[in-house]
Amino acid sequence: MSQDLRRKLILKQLDKLNNNEEIPNSNLDTLGQLPSFPKKSISKEKQHTRNLKNDALQLPSWKDFFTKNEVVTLKDRNFQFNTYFTLPTSHKNNSVTYSENLTTSSSTADCTIPIYIFHHGAGSSGLSFANLAKEVYERSSGKCGCFSFDARGHGKTVPIDPTKPISYGREIFVQDFKSLITWFYQTQLIEIFSSKQNEKKHISLILVGHSLGGSICTFVHPSLDKMIRSHVLGVAMFDIVEEAAILALEKVDHFLKNTPNAFNSYEDAIGWYMKHKLSRTKTSAEIAVPSLFAPVEGDTSQVTRITNLKDFSPYWSTWFTDLSHSFVTLPTAKLLILAGDDRLDKELIIGQMQGKYQLVVFQDSGHFIQEDSPMKTALTLLEFWKRNDNTNVIIKSNWGSSTNKNQ
Amino acid sequence: MDTDMDVDVPMQDVATTTTTTQLLSDDEEHSITPTSQETTSKIIDLSRTKSSVPLNLNDSNINQLDAWIEKLSNCEFLSEDDVERLCKMAVDVIQFEENVKPIQVPVTICGDIHGQFHDLMELFKIGGPCPDNNYLFMGDYVDRGYYSVETVSFLVAMKIRYPNRITILRGNHESRQITQVYRFYDECLRKYGSANVWKMFTDLFDYFPITALVDNKIFCLHGGLSPMIETIDQVRELDRIQEVPHEGPMCDLLWSDPDDRGGWGISPRGAGFTFGQDISEQFNHTNGLDLIARAHQLVMDGYSWSHPNNVVTIFSAPNYCYRCGNQAAIMEVDENHNKQFLQYDPSVRPGAPTVSRKTPDYFL
Repeated sequence: MSQDLRRKLILKQLDKLNNNEEIPNSNLDTLGQLPSFPKKSISKEKQHTRNLKNDALQLPSWKDFFTKNEVVTLKDRNFQFNTYFTLPTSHKNNSVTYSENLTTSSSTADCTIPIYIFHHGAGSSGLSFANLAKEVYERSSGKCGCFSFDARGHGKTVPIDPTKPISYGREIFVQDFKSLITWFYQTQLIEIFSSKQNEKKHISLILVGHSLGGSICTFVHPSLDKMIRSHVLGVAMFDIVEEAAILALEKVDHFLKNTPNAFNSYEDAIGWYMKHKLSRTKTSAEIAVPSLFAPVEGDTSQVTRITNLKDFSPYWSTWFTDLSHSFVTLPTAKLLILAGDDRLDKELIIGQMQGKYQLVVFQDSGHFIQEDSPMKTALTLLEFWKRNDNTNVIIKSNWGSSTNKNQ
Repeated sequence: MDTDMDVDVPMQDVATTTTTTQLLSDDEEHSITPTSQETTSKIIDLSRTKSSVPLNLNDSNINQLDAWIEKLSNCEFLSEDDVERLCKMAVDVIQFEENVKPIQVPVTICGDIHGQFHDLMELFKIGGPCPDNNYLFMGDYVDRGYYSVETVSFLVAMKIRYPNRITILRGNHESRQITQVYRFYDECLRKYGSANVWKMFTDLFDYFPITALVDNKIFCLHGGLSPMIETIDQVRELDRIQEVPHEGPMCDLLWSDPDDRGGWGISPRGAGFTFGQDISEQFNHTNGLDLIARAHQLVMDGYSWSHPNNVVTIFSAPNYCYRCGNQAAIMEVDENHNKQFLQYDPSVRPGAPTVSRKTPDYFL
């Protein structure tokens, strides 16, 4: 209880901070890296690291995974969204060999540039995808782009006017996501590709969501502006099945009771997440877990959880309803990656057995697939793009050749 | 690890199920691959023990087979030693079959079974007992259902006992990789305590024929067509004795689906292709066929025509996964090539043990 009070107090201060450009220096010392003003972020990141009592601890920063961290103020959404992204740097040599029957074209003009747009799940943050984004980018030799962000109620995303009522219903998340995709497309992607004639039509957007984020990706697809939607190559969901998710919601209370909201340090928090296998790969946990916590005020390295999942409970019922049917019937390529086993519900089994989408199971991964298996996930996402890139793939056939020979 | 009891999904051995699951997921490094779980040192290599001549049925092995078949028809699985004998005998029958197995009418053609043993028994009630009737199964005997071991053991035993009466083709689930994901592997571990039986069966699967040709008129296979296979002769040239590859003609034959769109398409499944009516028509024309019969896709009525009557899909697992609510069907082809579909609903399974189905602790 006291933990929760303290957390709320800090969050309140945070809100104040974010609504006030003039930040007193004294506050900065204790609140370290929390307010998200990207232009000043370099010094703050350093400051934060120094603030930590444990000198041995050298936590990675978002800069190790993305090239940009921008706060996007969307007044109509009443939020300042903390975003991370990397734009494709090399898209000159897109020669990719795919498989025996599928070949990809060797000329740049015919090959799309994949842009992976990530949406994290409830209680997580945009940096949950940090390690995966880096893997995808590197494995594509810088040919792809990545975009991730903190959804409302998470990470460093804060309301513009906290006195206004704030909803966490699925439709609200979907509208936020739609606005951010539009912002990213119009300000970042177009800027890059408009200089080259017609190049922007060769962008492929792949919407990738983990857990609740998967639901949001599925439901944002039909609501996207027609022009942007025409660029969407596919939707990928990580470890989310409607039936299982709704069942699991009943156990969130139990989960929350057993999940501490404060730790003595970021390192302790990382250790706890690793120990409880909520994040199983250290390099992922080191960037993803700290983003869930804010330093506690005072001369201490204590950190407290930013997101209170309990605040979301009135909206849980909206999050997964009709997800499986909607996913299976999406008019685009679809990929579902599950952790552990194929825990499908009826709609998903029928859809899979009718060949409506691609199912991949990572048996050795925990729920946070992007954190636990970043390499395998990156390869799967790149394959998914290559395979479904219509402008890119030519199906080789030997039909005709043999009959000619025989005649 | 939390488990929830799910009463509508019957299964045996709840306690051992949980143990197996933990065995697979609780290792610290998460690097253990299923094959390293084999607990006994016995290594059975079917490729070394196989004979250069087909199995000769004699009184002794007929008696043995009949005893196994009787045991299996009560849904009791064989001992590991017996599975070893079974698989060794089976290789010496199946390895000599052609990639395109010729079949005479009349024959009853069946689709996916997926370990639904009691529904397989129902199938034989509906279609008539074997060996009095000829049967052609188009693959996917294992995975997802709870009795994959009994199902595949029974069909293999029947195949050895009545080699000219029953044909078992390979489906995309008759593969090492797929069975590790979709639970035939786990079932073997649970029922035998080691992966030996899984290894023997998946080694045996490599020898299964991949297509059949009924009276030169009905081309039967699990999945569908391949852009690399224009003629049935090209199937005959394939080297099929291998794990189902990720791509290429053999993969396509086991993975592809017919589609409303014309031409070849990228399969949403991530393997194989989709093929349109133009492709089916051309293939049937080129090869002098009436029809392509295939399985692989769940169809709610148990069978479904497409392209408009160039392709038929047959699915023989009613209420698939004990929850999809679909009917099952088999297709009888008589001496005059008349086709009749027999539909059936799920059989009542004896007892109602419970299964533990994992629900995640945290799914946000």
